[in-house]
Amino acid sequence: MKALIIDDSRAMRSILRRIVTSLDFETDEAGHGQEALERMESGPVPDVCLVDWNMPVMDGYTFITKVRANPDWRNVTLMMVTTESEQQQIVRALAAGAHEYVIKPFTPDAIAEKLEMLGLVGGAA
Amino acid sequence: MTAPALTAPSYDDVRAVTDEVWTTLLGEAAPLIDRLVPVGTPFDSVGVWSAAVTVSGGWEGSVTVELTTYVAGALTTTMLDLPHDAEVSDADVADAVGELVNMLGGNVKSLMPGPSVLSLPSVAAGRAAFSSDAREVARVEATWDGEPVRVTVHNSTGETHR
Repeated sequence: MKALIIDDSRAMRSILRRIVTSLDFETDEAGHGQEALERMESGPVPDVCLVDWNMPVMDGYTFITKVRANPDWRNVTLMMVTTESEQQQIVRALAAGAHEYVIKPFTPDAIAEKLEMLGLVGGAA
Repeated sequence: MTAPALTAPSYDDVRAVTDEVWTTLLGEAAPLIDRLVPVGTPFDSVGVWSAAVTVSGGWEGSVTVELTTYVAGALTTTMLDLPHDAEVSDADVADAVGELVNMLGGNVKSLMPGPSVLSLPSVAAGRAAFSSDAREVARVEATWDGEPVRVTVHNSTGETHR
């Protein structure tokens, strides 16, 4: 499984990378939505994107709408990982095509549980 | 009869948000400890990092964090999973402190009337300065590993909680 981590904070990408690597994902990273789109166009398509909302150049919401507009990427799972916690924003992201929504700060278990719910990691025996 | 609109987060709410973000990022082994500081006391230290985010919309305000260089460095090495004595660049420290205030600001925003927009963080090596029309409405004064940490919430019309 491949995960693309999209966050403008290198420190946050580092935290997420450690979590998903421990779940046997291969990882790639981008600092904003535009860079993530370019990576997806030029490289292997990830199984899941973990995407922040507030980023320079292209925010996570715009990134989600762009991914969902491309039929070639219909199998990509999108998980928002963000400090945006207003109900209105969560509904907006899910309506745009996000599959899951995680609010920062989060624990490694919270990320693992969401990925498990999405069928991207094996459940407990 | 409807309740009046909330104009400022309470000290308890800001303290709870700070504790949650802090322990998630730095672990529960060394929690923040309250410290008593008179109102108006500047965040004096030889080396200081500060960062702020603003909230615009249903609530207008800002959230600021001030840390000593030691605490900012420890936050950075922990977030990057480096040894605590590892050399970190100013860019890495700015990134880590910016993400800290982003989380604090986002969670404070969630306590207030919306919809609102959270700004990208601005980070500086040095003490925070506040505009004259910003009124402090909540301030958390704490220590971590013996070093001061301050989180301040401002708005222009709110009531002072502490």
